[in-house]
Amino acid sequence: MSLNKRTERRLYLRFALILAAVCGMLLSEACGVRSDMQDQPRYDAYEKSDFFSDGRSSRDYPEGTVARGHLEDNKAFFTGKIDNPDPNAQAATSTDANGNTVVASFPNAITEFPLPVTKELIDRGEDRYKIYCMVCHGQFGDGDGMVVRRGFPQPPTYHDDRLRNAPVGHFFDVITNGWGKMNPYGYQVQAADRWAIVAYIRALQLSRNPDSNLKMTSTANSNTAAPVPAKPETPAANAATNRGGTR
Amino acid sequence: MAQIFRKSANNIAKISMVTVVLLAGVGFYAWTQLARSSYLTGQYLEIQQPVQFSHKHHVADDGIDCRYCHQTVETTASAGMPSTQTCMNCHSQLWADAPYLEPIRASFRDNKPIQWNRVHDLPKYVYFNHSIHIAKGVGCSTCHGPVDKMPLVYEENTLQMEWCIQCHREPEKFIRPKSEVFNMAYRPEDTDQETRDQLKVDYKIRSREMLTSCSTCHR
Repeated sequence: MSLNKRTERRLYLRFALILAAVCGMLLSEACGVRSDMQDQPRYDAYEKSDFFSDGRSSRDYPEGTVARGHLEDNKAFFTGKIDNPDPNAQAATSTDANGNTVVASFPNAITEFPLPVTKELIDRGEDRYKIYCMVCHGQFGDGDGMVVRRGFPQPPTYHDDRLRNAPVGHFFDVITNGWGKMNPYGYQVQAADRWAIVAYIRALQLSRNPDSNLKMTSTANSNTAAPVPAKPETPAANAATNRGGTR
Repeated sequence: MAQIFRKSANNIAKISMVTVVLLAGVGFYAWTQLARSSYLTGQYLEIQQPVQFSHKHHVADDGIDCRYCHQTVETTASAGMPSTQTCMNCHSQLWADAPYLEPIRASFRDNKPIQWNRVHDLPKYVYFNHSIHIAKGVGCSTCHGPVDKMPLVYEENTLQMEWCIQCHREPEKFIRPKSEVFNMAYRPEDTDQETRDQLKVDYKIRSREMLTSCSTCHR
């Protein structure tokens, strides 16, 4: 009898404890209490850091760091320039219809693609062109993109003799380092994608002048793969070359 | 000695027993609704930002692709927040003197990041990855809603697990052709069910068991 009673009391106690726990959980949930699991002591991409004085959890690389796959020893592929560029080479300039000074010769720029030009490359280039270039240069390269219509200084068209005769390395260099009012896009677009865009620009030029002697020649054997395939750019890699952008 | 309780007390006891059960039920239901309400999930609540950047203007009016700014969305877990330099690609020329954009210029001058307020804040025990969703044909607007119509961005969906899991159970109801992933004008009815079933096969989307396995999202 007494044993039964003790068991009974223990049961009641257990029930009361469970009830209290459930009520507590419901209450804390309803109040929006967040637990440690939700806010763990690690950083998400772009998260604010209280540890570093500039408040960024995405840190710059220490100077001289070379990330795997970023040795960039293929000069032609990563700069669009010839192997031993002449630092004293001066580009010839001329004046265009709007009175702007434009270059007419392109010393040191490579004239052939350093990777095989395939349909895939041009398709990729079209895709990337429509993301990064079309806003200013327009769908067909006439320099009449939406941002230009909003008042951005108009870039030159691709469809004149000067740029038709420009070597591919020049386009690559301009995308990478910017030109005039155009900011550098090297940090936004990977090198392989920049070459894809150059290939697409050539295709656009050819589309208007199929009879011209423009050629999409490549120094790379089409049997060998491109030197470096498009590699994902990590937020950390981004931070190394960028200004701003935490959180 | 008289009885403490009258006979009618039996009825009161019975009624109160039923009432307690009913109240508990109503209370539980109210709690489930409260937990799903935008008051607790933040759904549909516009988040104020240090610069009132309008996706509606930049996407719908100017036709700028999502990836112009969110560059890493196809390749990494994070979609990528644009550096201030990306803003300056245009705003070094356009509205270059506007007081409205002074925080951008200050950030660029001083090399100090703009502290945007996070709109979609997942708990840390969820390991979400943008790139895999893009690669399997989940459109931007499937989760983020009509961003091209949002002057200030808000959460279109609750980001609660029940919301995630409905697509992980039946991805064939939500996916679209990869070519349409970044198309903000795309509507689900643009692709019929048969095509979507085929897409699930073509894109090698894993089984329901795999997609709803705990460790797919929680590690």
